[in-house]
Amino acid sequence: MSKKIITVDDAATMRKMVAFTLKGAGHEVFEAGDGVEALTVLRQRPVDLVLTDVNMPNMDGLELTRQLRALPAFARTPIILLTTESDPAKKMLGRAAGATGWIVKPFSQEQLLAIVAKVLPA
Amino acid sequence: MAINETLQQELVKDLLLESHEGLDRFDRELLALEQGQTGPDSMNNIFRVIHTLKGTAGCLGLGHIEHTAHVGEDLLSLLRDGKLHSTPEMITTLLALSDALRGMLRTLEATGTDGTSDHSALLAKLVQLQVAPAIAAAPAPVEKPVFGLFDDDEPVVAVLAVAPEVAGAVVMTAPASVQASSDAPTPTTLHAAPPVSASASVEVAGKSSVADNAIRVDISQLDKVMNLVGELVLARNQIVANTTQFDQAALMTAAQRLNIITTELQESVMKTRMQPIGNVWGKFPRIVRDVSHELNKKVRLVMAGQTTELDRTIIEAIKDPLTHIVRNSIDHGIESPAKRLSVGKAEEGLLSLRAYHEGGQVNIEIMDDGGGINLDRVKAKAVAQHLITAEQSARLTEREALNLIFLPGLSTADKITNVSGRGVGMDVVKTNIEKIGGSIDLQSQPGQGTTLKIKIPLTLAIIPALIVTSGGDRYAIPQVSLLELVRLEGTQARKGIEQLYGAAVYRLRGHLLPLAYLNQQFKVKAGVPKNAAQAMDDVINIIVLQADGRPFGLVVDEINDTEEIVVKPLGKQLKGISSFAGATIMGDGRVALILDVVGLAQHANVVTETRDRPVIDTKARAQSDADQRQTLLLFSVGKDRRMAIPLALAARLEEFPVSRVERTGATEVVQYRGQILPLIRVADHVAGRVTPDEPSDILQVVVYAEQGRSYGLVVSQINDIVNESVTIKRASASQGILGSAVVQDRVTDLLDVPGLVRAAEAHASLAA
Repeated sequence: MSKKIITVDDAATMRKMVAFTLKGAGHEVFEAGDGVEALTVLRQRPVDLVLTDVNMPNMDGLELTRQLRALPAFARTPIILLTTESDPAKKMLGRAAGATGWIVKPFSQEQLLAIVAKVLPA
Repeated sequence: MAINETLQQELVKDLLLESHEGLDRFDRELLALEQGQTGPDSMNNIFRVIHTLKGTAGCLGLGHIEHTAHVGEDLLSLLRDGKLHSTPEMITTLLALSDALRGMLRTLEATGTDGTSDHSALLAKLVQLQVAPAIAAAPAPVEKPVFGLFDDDEPVVAVLAVAPEVAGAVVMTAPASVQASSDAPTPTTLHAAPPVSASASVEVAGKSSVADNAIRVDISQLDKVMNLVGELVLARNQIVANTTQFDQAALMTAAQRLNIITTELQESVMKTRMQPIGNVWGKFPRIVRDVSHELNKKVRLVMAGQTTELDRTIIEAIKDPLTHIVRNSIDHGIESPAKRLSVGKAEEGLLSLRAYHEGGQVNIEIMDDGGGINLDRVKAKAVAQHLITAEQSARLTEREALNLIFLPGLSTADKITNVSGRGVGMDVVKTNIEKIGGSIDLQSQPGQGTTLKIKIPLTLAIIPALIVTSGGDRYAIPQVSLLELVRLEGTQARKGIEQLYGAAVYRLRGHLLPLAYLNQQFKVKAGVPKNAAQAMDDVINIIVLQADGRPFGLVVDEINDTEEIVVKPLGKQLKGISSFAGATIMGDGRVALILDVVGLAQHANVVTETRDRPVIDTKARAQSDADQRQTLLLFSVGKDRRMAIPLALAARLEEFPVSRVERTGATEVVQYRGQILPLIRVADHVAGRVTPDEPSDILQVVVYAEQGRSYGLVVSQINDIVNESVTIKRASASQGILGSAVVQDRVTDLLDVPGLVRAAEAHASLAA
């Protein structure tokens, strides 16, 4: 079933690729360029899944996660961090912020679809 | 499902754009870091560029870029986390990294793959620099899980079923400690139920995105639009020119609206092509750093006016000349630190760049506080290279000697450095700038420094031009090179033109103006005179033009009008002729050639002749020191007030019969060139008493334009145009007046035109 997913990343190429992959799997995809933008969109338009980059200008992915978790509509929405760092300490920060999971960049389309399928019930 | 080829190509294109911009930012921030000018976020910004590039390149399967970026990222993350402190060596290496990455991006652009270029030395260096305690011992990415959920804590075995291809990567490390850690503040369940309200509140289906307020448009697409708008302007000109013969109100109104809309469309399209000059300058800090390091000089770069906007094609065209000038300034201009200290200057040289708009053009100033240009050496070199004779050299004025710099082949560098002095010199810079209708002016004070001033048009595509006729053909002269128009009648025409050394000259306000006859230059017959006055051969039209910073007069049969013309390139048969810059299509559908003023002046020998033979008139030389001089338009208001404005502010001088004046609200207006021109009677709005003069049937009007709107300033009489150095003797706070000065032995008020317009508008709105 088609789900609503937002991809948050300051690199347009990355957003495009994620969007392409997920649309190919039949999902509806929104884009945002940083945390601030994402929050603005998400306040009006909840989604089924948030995929966010960690290191972004204005508001990073961890802060975005914290702020989303404070919103009732996002208390249970899965949030996946897209990160280039597989450092365990960095990962703990993600967990502390309330993220659901993580995926290390670079990843393949299959890997992306795999984790999306895992957190989104059919 | 694989990314299809078109999308891959598109993504690669995006990546190229994004990464080039990113790497430029990377360089800038690094240089700022080196200067100690860092914000709280700069290290992270630097880091993010490489980090993003690595991530994106990896996803697109560009392993070479990914790997290189990755090694750089390791060093950068140590720097960002404060585990290492930056050293000049590190910065040099990181700059080399950005160069290497740029190289790969270029390869990617050219070949579609990121190549196999060898950067092992650079990579080794990057690793070697990571001498911090936390040597992240070149991480072996294969051994790490690619993704996971915090609830599962580490790799997800279940995924195997979904994505068997990934299995190899994931299975290797499976510590399988499955309990959720208690410190997670909001434990989320794996099968988080989507919020109930989700689907209901989303009305806009699909791909709306806030990130897409701006879109990237292909340059060729913009060029195409611009070209079409150019055609539209031509069609508009034709329609506007032809509708006047029909007496149909509806058609006239439609033509007028078409006129206005086309102008607005043209302006908007122009705007989309504008880019801040900072796009070119952004590279300069890096160049300045590299060149000054290479030459062991210390240079501080100051830039002002980065946001000044220019048409894209012009930005492209000035990129190389500006870079060359900057390199030159450091190489030839700024002295070594030791030399500077010995002459009492600061050890660090100053190179400043400034850009600003002025009168529909953009001025760029490049100033250094170096040793200036040694004129004797320039002259000696020019003589030694047989560019001029010793005799000529002795007679050169200071300005002419300075201009020798622009001669092809002249290089004053004693030793040829890697940086400049390789024969490609200032002549190329000058040619390139003139090619786009710009001009370059050089000032140098020995021991104090050199200033280069470049004037360039905002755009090349559509330019205002003066249309003239000679030998029955029409020609367009770009208005940027136009100084003034002189019309000689009767005795003046018969006696005004003198012969000096076999060349025709005209005495214009005491200065000798060399003349060229357009019909003789093009070997066409003089036009058939239209009326009796011309048949008597006692009307001569001289167009005073500026070429190479020198005025000369061009004699034509007839001066027609000013018009916005669309520049079209010349066909290949005419392309080689330096007197023509292009062609345009006139309102009646016929083609007119656009004159290249500099080329024409050279063809007519009015510029080179004077250069070879500088001493014609001592007065002419006095002009060269006239930098503080202003050209003023003098007029009277009422019987006794004399006033002046800078000539540059006057778009046109017009005469309107009083009968044409109409009223809207409290404002007097006339219909002018398809628009409504509000009239401002200067006498009514300036401070101080004005003795009214005799009412006249003809209004003398100075047309003034600001921000696309025109105003007509009504004055009593236009008196003269003078070129004088004016010092304001008495500054004034009175309405509409900047101050007073003595011009031609009479006290003259300098009018504050914008202030006057504001005052008149305020008055009109009160009255209305």
